[in-house]
Amino acid sequence: MNDVVEIENLTKKFEDVVAVDNISFTVKKGEIFGFLGPNGAGKTTTLNILVTIMKPTSGLAKVAGYDVVKHPDKVREKIGVVFQDTTLDKELTGKENLWIHGKVYGVPSDRLKKSIQKLLVFTELVDWADVQVKKYSGGMMRRLEIARALIHNPEILFLDEPTLGLDPQTRVHVWDYITKLREERGITIFLTTHYMDEAEKLCDRVAIIDHGKIISIGKPEELIRLIGEEVIYVKTISNLRFEEFICSLQKAEFIEEVRLVGGETVRLSVKKASEVIPKIFEVAQKFDIHIQEIRYHKPTLEDIFLHLTGKSLREEEAGPMDHLRIASIRRRGFHG
Amino acid sequence: MVSRPLTTIYVMWYRQVKRFIRAKSRLVGSIASPLLWMFFFGVGFASTFNLPSTKEILGGVDYLSFLIPGIIMMTVYFASFVSGISIIWDREFGFLKEVLIAPTSRAVLIFGRSLGDSTVAVVQGLVILAIAYFLVPGLMITTLPLMVVSTFLVALFFTEMGIAIASRMRSMEGFQIVSTFVGLPILFLSGAFYPVDTLPFWMKVLAFINPLTYGVDIARKLLVGVGFFPLYINFLVLCVLTVTLTFIATWIFQRTTIE
Repeated sequence: MNDVVEIENLTKKFEDVVAVDNISFTVKKGEIFGFLGPNGAGKTTTLNILVTIMKPTSGLAKVAGYDVVKHPDKVREKIGVVFQDTTLDKELTGKENLWIHGKVYGVPSDRLKKSIQKLLVFTELVDWADVQVKKYSGGMMRRLEIARALIHNPEILFLDEPTLGLDPQTRVHVWDYITKLREERGITIFLTTHYMDEAEKLCDRVAIIDHGKIISIGKPEELIRLIGEEVIYVKTISNLRFEEFICSLQKAEFIEEVRLVGGETVRLSVKKASEVIPKIFEVAQKFDIHIQEIRYHKPTLEDIFLHLTGKSLREEEAGPMDHLRIASIRRRGFHG
Repeated sequence: MVSRPLTTIYVMWYRQVKRFIRAKSRLVGSIASPLLWMFFFGVGFASTFNLPSTKEILGGVDYLSFLIPGIIMMTVYFASFVSGISIIWDREFGFLKEVLIAPTSRAVLIFGRSLGDSTVAVVQGLVILAIAYFLVPGLMITTLPLMVVSTFLVALFFTEMGIAIASRMRSMEGFQIVSTFVGLPILFLSGAFYPVDTLPFWMKVLAFINPLTYGVDIARKLLVGVGFFPLYINFLVLCVLTVTLTFIATWIFQRTTIE
């Protein structure tokens, strides 16, 4: 059995809203598979179905060979999950969190002890093992959660936005752990993210999801090649001959694709930008187009996403209001 | 499939107890409120109603002695009800989500948690009892084992009630409404502050279907020797209600998903 996650025509509806719209894909054993898309694209919903806390409206989802609806308990034994919002018990210490998890998963005591020690070393939390989690930093909590998800030796690790809300340095740190995990344990990793760089850096394969549909799937390099070797952005001051300028670029054999992005910016997919740029100036001169700015780079998944959906990724707006609300209710208390 | 139910129960119990010990402010807060009731309400009312006729109505004891068993049960009741309801936070924002994906029976998980919450509530009640003993040295402490049993039954009942309500609640907003319109009437209609048998008929009916009434009645009989029902009836009613509600709450909770 080579596919550890198999999804066929999976759909999830919330009343009238279709959160996941008839998606199908597989994840191979040992790969890091990324689910990339903006907020509300259906990433977390899909993950929730795969980890058995939501039921699909229709379609089939199998994890580690077991149907998530028919055999949720079998699935639960095989998976480790790190949710987007922390699920640690902050009153307890790091070690206690790991211990409770191991016990609930039925890990024998002697093995549990060793496992906790090994994972504390792996996540560099040994010195913090007996400190209450509420004193941890965001990055430490995330590491502890990864450690906890691994206590029972799962075959597949699910990570929902593993670096959301972390500072850049800590993100890189968490990436290192994820890469190391795969190298040392050969574990399959399924992660969701709305960070392009994260998907590009970590994942063997990426599925791009938007509005509940998978719009593209493949290796990051393959996806990137969809729009050529290099991309050039040309920002102009448009004049009456702007259309002619565009047409002429479209006809040029040294340019693979021309696309307007924004009113006066043109994106060109080319083989070798450094050789093409002088030619662009020549064309521009012919039509009296004034070039304001020109830049080129290797395409990233960001370019792909823009290419496929016509929009860039929205930024995260996690709900601080929710947390405030709870805090205020807790303070108000019960005795009235 | 069910990986050692007993271990799971123990671990969940341990977690609740440990959390209580860790959160020192919670400990102080949970004891301060009943103490204020006991000192200001109790001592105040006791000096107002210091008449022979009051003693007769109260079954032959002074008001403070009458009130203390009520305050102890009130402490247990509030503590357990609130911790039962608090699974709503656990569910939406953390720990419970993590245990919901454990390959263990949810019934066992939630039962372990309930036992932990009940233990914590009993401890709080006993702390109040210890303090009350200095105020009214005449309390009968020899009945302590039965006090532990009865407070535990009351605690388990209201923890399960909290869980049942929280399992159906979809938002935090309901919490205030529930605590006002369910929480307070149960307390007022329990005989904790005034005797049940002198109440108007409709209130008496409500008091008799209120589980807390039986808990308060037991505590009063055990501590000051005054009671309305025979002890065995009280215990029988409480046992039946607690066991029944445990099954109902577990069933409701098992159907909980995150959506």
